[in-house]
Amino acid sequence: MLNKDKEEKKAYRRFVIPSLVIFLFVMAFPIILSFVLSLSNFSGGKMFGGSRWKITGLQNYSYLFSDSYFWNALLNNIYLVLISVFGQLPLGMILAYLIYRKTVKGGEFWQGILYVPSVISVIVIGIMWNLIFSPYGPVSQIINDINTSSFTKEVMAVLNGHLDLNGSLVVNSSLIKDLININAQSAALLGNDPANVLATFLKTLGTENLKETGVLLTNLLCPKWSASFLNERGVSMLPILFVTLWCWTGMYLILFLANMQKIDPQTLDSAQIDGAKESTILRHIILPELSGVIMNSAILCISGSLSTFDLIYAMTGGGPARITQVLSIYMYEKAFTGTPNYPLSNAISIMMVVFSLILIGITKAVQKKLEGNR
Amino acid sequence: MKNIKRILLLLVVVSLVLSFGFAQGIEESSESSEEKVTLKVLNYYDTTEPGYEKERQVWQNFRDENPNVNLITEDLCNEAFHQKVSAYIASGNLPDVMYMYPSGRSMAIHENKLVKDLKPLLGEEFLSNFVSTALNTKTQGAGYLAELPQSICYSTVVYTNKGLLDSLGLEIPTTYEELKAMVQTLKAHGIQTVLMANKDDWVMQSCLFSTIAGRYVGTKWFDDVKEGKVKFTDPEFIQALDMVKTMYDDGVISRNTIQLAYGEAPGLFASGKAAFFVDGDWKASAFLTNHETGESLISPEKQETDLALIAFPALPGENYPGTVSSTLGCGFGISSAIPAGSEKEAYAVKLIKYLYSSEVQQQYLELGRYVPTRKDVNSDNVEPIVKKMKAYYAQSDSTCYVLDSALDPSVYTVLNKVLQEIGLGSKTPKEAAAEIQTAMDKYIAEK
Repeated sequence: MLNKDKEEKKAYRRFVIPSLVIFLFVMAFPIILSFVLSLSNFSGGKMFGGSRWKITGLQNYSYLFSDSYFWNALLNNIYLVLISVFGQLPLGMILAYLIYRKTVKGGEFWQGILYVPSVISVIVIGIMWNLIFSPYGPVSQIINDINTSSFTKEVMAVLNGHLDLNGSLVVNSSLIKDLININAQSAALLGNDPANVLATFLKTLGTENLKETGVLLTNLLCPKWSASFLNERGVSMLPILFVTLWCWTGMYLILFLANMQKIDPQTLDSAQIDGAKESTILRHIILPELSGVIMNSAILCISGSLSTFDLIYAMTGGGPARITQVLSIYMYEKAFTGTPNYPLSNAISIMMVVFSLILIGITKAVQKKLEGNR
Repeated sequence: MKNIKRILLLLVVVSLVLSFGFAQGIEESSESSEEKVTLKVLNYYDTTEPGYEKERQVWQNFRDENPNVNLITEDLCNEAFHQKVSAYIASGNLPDVMYMYPSGRSMAIHENKLVKDLKPLLGEEFLSNFVSTALNTKTQGAGYLAELPQSICYSTVVYTNKGLLDSLGLEIPTTYEELKAMVQTLKAHGIQTVLMANKDDWVMQSCLFSTIAGRYVGTKWFDDVKEGKVKFTDPEFIQALDMVKTMYDDGVISRNTIQLAYGEAPGLFASGKAAFFVDGDWKASAFLTNHETGESLISPEKQETDLALIAFPALPGENYPGTVSSTLGCGFGISSAIPAGSEKEAYAVKLIKYLYSSEVQQQYLELGRYVPTRKDVNSDNVEPIVKKMKAYYAQSDSTCYVLDSALDPSVYTVLNKVLQEIGLGSKTPKEAAAEIQTAMDKYIAEK
């Protein structure tokens, strides 16, 4: 018996030690080194044998906590965590369930389509969505074309209402007033005295060709739509959150679907024979069976959201004016743009590790509680 | 069963030994050809721009002429270039020959003296071929000839679609008021007035604000601000920041430009979406003909008839009329890590002399990359935009700092950001000025 134990322990060590060594070198060592550097005045170059550096204390951490851009980046990361855990996971689960229970036709087709974004390079996705949301991109153009065509009709109706008996346009205060009234808000953008600007404009333009005048007035007065909300604090993260949702939901769908397919169909059949509804099957059979994979997916979501870089860098670069920065881009900016500050960058990366551990701890606690309840 | 295990174990050991053997072999084979001197070069080039094939040929010619040199080049541009340089500095492993700025974004290289002084290496005779301004070491961050500037760089050029203005009966503006007066007419025709690619925050600072600031406060003011004699919160500097806000408010520059990526703007300008395009002189190369495909954003004929390169119109209340921001151009430097007097150093010097030879510089002139600082370079075989650029330089006799080459990175990164915030309307010029001054105070204190 004792020999067997010894043998088992030996085998256990044989299997564990190589991966432990790799883990220590690849994961633990960089984290510890990063922590040491975050307390130092290291300014680049060779770490050993180069210029001397020493431990200087916690000032990088105190700088971080007093920097509003750090909190802004952290807040953006929290948005990403929330959209991932409470967006990607439930959506992935619902879609997987619909496909698994064959509620929708062509399950395999939808499965493929929804998974496609996960296999495209994130940089390509970032650039693609950036072009879509660009003020010079296709969405703006289509919306503006639609706006313009209806606006032109209104302008032409006003112009036609101010023709004299010879069919010539009569430029007077009533015409100007009617033109401004089509969209007073947009006309206000012409300056302090829009009536005067319009009158001067019509004078310089000439009024012989009514159709051309209509087009020019439309360009001048029609409000232009652009995704300028992307420049505003508070909403600028929305497109990024949307793309995050679009991009990764398919991956969780596949994870959930694969695990659903492992459930014994006889269990489901017998539940149905016993008169269980779909919601009961989901709540009492499928969700408990998937609790493990859901928790693992939540951990993947959290760690992925805290370290995300490429998508946001390709979409906004953290701008404008840093409002879409997340911790990884904030760290990158401190390390690689302007004056490199490696200790501060390392402090940011340590904070990322700390937040990851806190969130993963919370997830584990929730899992324990749920399992306890069960 | 035991036998199978043994065979498997043997196979694993044999394969490991073989793989080590191969690894050693590759190393050896590269060592056997190691008679060659390896030179690693970091070059700045936008590989999507016309003329890239010719650029590659320039490097290939050096390889052909110097079979003893194993030349490894890396072409990067824009932010990717600067990021790679930062990574090289962080790792303490700089390329042997590298493209760099006279200060500003290459400040870390200068401050840490990571490149050699080129003056003794290149020799007076060779350097006498260059205009004296290019050899002025005071304007280099290191205080010595860390890089040999290939050109004098003008960071504000107003590329003007003269053909478009003519068709609308508009004149080239000479004052800001004239420019502003065009906004409604251009808008009525669905055309933006001034296009800039402001998504990258350095663009507004480098390509327009430096000139605006120069027009209001001049050059010496920025030397004084670094000594604490004047402050960014002084009214004259706030007036410059106010001008940026005014341009956005007047619709001269659309707020949409804050979402416009750097590479997108030339195409939009060439397709007539805007009457004016503000960028540096380096952007002229984007409009040249690609000799491989024969395509160009603006054909040489159109460059001749429809394109004008002008200085930014006179600003209301400006104190230094006609001033344009300029700085010494970029160039190549040699890593300090190369041992002095070594064969490698000799080849690095040979490479630099080759790159700055009149033949190569003439080729760059003809490619429209820049107007060289080398005096004996001239060519008639250039597209009209290059000729127009030379004329633009000739008329711009008053110059001021490009701010990212005059200020410390810890200050100009804040300036870049607040300029974007002014554009977004999330900061007033006064608040912006206060933030820049805070960064400057910190810089002075640390200094």
